[in-house]
Amino acid sequence: MIRLDGHLGPTALSAFPTMVAQQHGPDTILTGPLQDRSALWAMLAEIEALGLELTELRRICPKTESPTSGDGLSPDRS
Amino acid sequence: MSGGAIRREVEPIESPWPLGDPSAKQGLLERAELQATLDHLVTKRVTIISAPAGSGKTSLLRAWAVSSAHRVAFVSVERDQPDGQLFWRAVLDALGAAASGGRRQKAGGGSQLDADSVIDRVLAGMLETAGPVALIIDDLHELGSAETLGQLERLLVSLPRPVHAILSSRRDPRLRLHRLRLADEVGEVRARQLRFTESETRELLRVSGVALSEECAAALWQRTEGWAAGLRLAAISLAGHPDPDRFVEEFSGGDRAVGEYLLAEMLERQSSDVQGMLLRTSLVPRMNGELADLLADRSDSERILLELEEANAFVVSVDRERTWFRYHQLLADFLRLELRRTLPDEVPELHRRAAGWFADHGHVLDAVKHLLAAGDWPEAAKLLADHLFALTLDGQQGAIASLLRSFPAGASAGDPDLALAHAASELAQGRLDEAAAHLALAEAGLDSAPPERRRRAETSIASSRLALERRRGRFAEVIEQVERLGSPGAGEPADIALGTDFRGTALMDLGIAEMWSGRLGQAERHLSQGAELARRRERAYLELACRAHLGFASQHRSFSTARERCLEAVALAERHGWDDRPLVAPALATLADTSIWMGELDEGARWLQRAWKAVEQDLDPANGVLLHLAAGKLQAGYGKPQRSLEELQLAEESQALVGDEHVLAPQVSAWVASTHARLGQPEQARTFLAGLPAARADTGEMRGARSAVSLAEGDAAAALEELKTVLDGTSTVIHPFTLVEAHLIAGLAQLELGRHSEAQAAAEAALAAAEPDRLMLPFMVMDALALLETVSPHDTAHRALLIEIRELLGGAPSGTSHHEWVASPEPLSPSELRVLRYLPTNLTRPEIARELYVSVNTVNTHIRNIYSKLGARGRSSAVEHARRLKLLANRAG
Repeated sequence: MIRLDGHLGPTALSAFPTMVAQQHGPDTILTGPLQDRSALWAMLAEIEALGLELTELRRICPKTESPTSGDGLSPDRS
Repeated sequence: MSGGAIRREVEPIESPWPLGDPSAKQGLLERAELQATLDHLVTKRVTIISAPAGSGKTSLLRAWAVSSAHRVAFVSVERDQPDGQLFWRAVLDALGAAASGGRRQKAGGGSQLDADSVIDRVLAGMLETAGPVALIIDDLHELGSAETLGQLERLLVSLPRPVHAILSSRRDPRLRLHRLRLADEVGEVRARQLRFTESETRELLRVSGVALSEECAAALWQRTEGWAAGLRLAAISLAGHPDPDRFVEEFSGGDRAVGEYLLAEMLERQSSDVQGMLLRTSLVPRMNGELADLLADRSDSERILLELEEANAFVVSVDRERTWFRYHQLLADFLRLELRRTLPDEVPELHRRAAGWFADHGHVLDAVKHLLAAGDWPEAAKLLADHLFALTLDGQQGAIASLLRSFPAGASAGDPDLALAHAASELAQGRLDEAAAHLALAEAGLDSAPPERRRRAETSIASSRLALERRRGRFAEVIEQVERLGSPGAGEPADIALGTDFRGTALMDLGIAEMWSGRLGQAERHLSQGAELARRRERAYLELACRAHLGFASQHRSFSTARERCLEAVALAERHGWDDRPLVAPALATLADTSIWMGELDEGARWLQRAWKAVEQDLDPANGVLLHLAAGKLQAGYGKPQRSLEELQLAEESQALVGDEHVLAPQVSAWVASTHARLGQPEQARTFLAGLPAARADTGEMRGARSAVSLAEGDAAAALEELKTVLDGTSTVIHPFTLVEAHLIAGLAQLELGRHSEAQAAAEAALAAAEPDRLMLPFMVMDALALLETVSPHDTAHRALLIEIRELLGGAPSGTSHHEWVASPEPLSPSELRVLRYLPTNLTRPEIARELYVSVNTVNTHIRNIYSKLGARGRSSAVEHARRLKLLANRAG
């Protein structure tokens, strides 16, 4: 889950096609699966490049599956 | 950067790293307070400006550069720049320009930039400039290479007094500057300080021609939180706006992210055709008018770009002539997103157009990139295959490999062009089986190729086949293939240029195959021809490949010719930044090998270290034999026979991987056997000798080895018997050093038999054979001191050599050292003097290197020069000489 300052318009949102956006007060909250850490870093780089302000970053644990079920959220253990 | 790593090709502009041109930018806002802060901070050695995108870092630096009393060297790091070479070249160019008062200089162009000397070069560049210099490095966060950052760190901590560095970055740079921080020599500017104040906001609006009420200006300032990019965007939108106050009201009342809102507004303020142009040109990192016209389907792009540049800060020209432009990064990223969102169907076509333009202008790799982005990978493969030969000859293997990774997996099975490109790339990385498999795919697809492309493909395949056979060590096969190709029936390829390039690589493959199989005379001729042909065609990579082998092939003339040619090859490699690639290894290893033979063990070790670094990614077995053999001799010279044996056994293993008999094979086997003998293991030596192929057994080298084993077994008579045909010249001897060894063994055997005068004659003969190339190593390895003591310095024809060898072996100083004549030494350079002052201390070389922030190699070089200039034999004698010459007067030991 990523919280950004301000409401994002269609252009900025198109930079995060895999995420679902919700407006929450003055902020935008993006949620969605990130395949691995490098996907996360790519996303943070995008936020930085677009001059957006990151205010919160949180990992939401999968509710029903076990942590190793291949949901993509467990850290890469290679 | 190491061996096979990826290198970006040079960007499609004549100057790949445009110098920032501080004076070119008009309409910059004077932020007096901030500039005064910067003026104050640059009294420190390093200033770091760390703040997010759009904070106004670059604008501040440009404005400061114009007004500063410093001479300014301005370097902008390009996006995702992984190549340290290009970065340092840009730094040198910028310093050169600063030194010459702003005239642009191409200092880096043809010069050496190896990792060890680059810092020295940059420092020297700084000292050339009179008065205070500010080295500005903008967008440092784009510099990806940890190695380059490490070099930058070394530079920063050793900046000479009049130089100040200003670094700007979106993130805190990963530089360890704690020493400078402790000394209060690091200044910082952060986002907080870069924010516009309320009065600066008003000033910005005023110079932008925007009239706004007091309250609205305050609201704008609050809403943007003084964020520079936000304010600039707002100013652009507000200029000429029918109702600026309402704009601010809507903007302040809304919740949209500041940057996006304002960029959208700014874009909307442009006419629709300008909007279209901005969107369509956003997918190239830089453009000139012609390229922009092509992408945007118009004819006045250059005028629009120039107007936009004058009107705002979001289009920047990157050259002084203002013909190349780029967008502010923040704008470019938004434009690309907007293009994909609003005109998704046009994107592939735009990439195709860009590809066409790049291909027409000779930027094949850029063209391939855009074709891939358009999803046209078969076209991309075709283009790549058509230029494969030329790209390979220009040393672009790394770029080819990284492009190939962007093709769909498994695509090469159905595409002969792609298979061919893969084959060349695998070959360059030493993966021979993979290369062979791809080559077979390419060959299978030949029949379906249209005739005009077929000839080209055949040439590329034939060339790859030659290289493959050579790498597998099937030297006879290579020679035969080249002969077959050269026969009149084979015909010349229709394309003359291709034919010439092909002839060049065939000469190289032929020469290398001849060299490794011991036909040194022919090898020398063919490699010279190949190098000359490559030079005329300006194929530096091919020329280097030929020259790097030419040294080894010239050893049959003399060591000095061989070394001279190796040094030429290394210099050529350094000029192009290729000195860490596998193709330079034979030259580096030959320099190591010859140094070791001449008893210059430390120098040999240094060359060998560079050679190992060059083959880190890809060691071909033929080179492996040469490198391991040299390493074995080095250890033997250092008096470590056990380690020597290990290296020699690795040389044997490499030899087993070479298809045909390697020219060094007899030498390797002889060294293994005689090292066993020296280690007191004659039985192992005998077992080893018994297992060797019969053809090798009759060489002079193997006779020498067998006699050494006999001597170790205590059978001096048998040793002498074995040597008979070597000494009378009837045995084949590959190199004169075998003769030196043979005379030494004979001498030792005679001593053993108590025949003093025969021993003395043998020692004299050994000296005579060693003299031309100064072959000291055999004397060191065979512990020949006792034998040499039979020779009096007064009645030998080789007095100087005798004295030198005796000193080297730690014998009594003869009092007539050839060094003593050095009455007034050559003056030491400032860097040598700096190193000299550490010699009386207990610091080791690596410790000295750390103290001076230079590499160990640099320290080694300085120490070697110091020794030679002072005529010293070691550290203590250098200190002694230096004291006598009062060179150490200023420091206590």
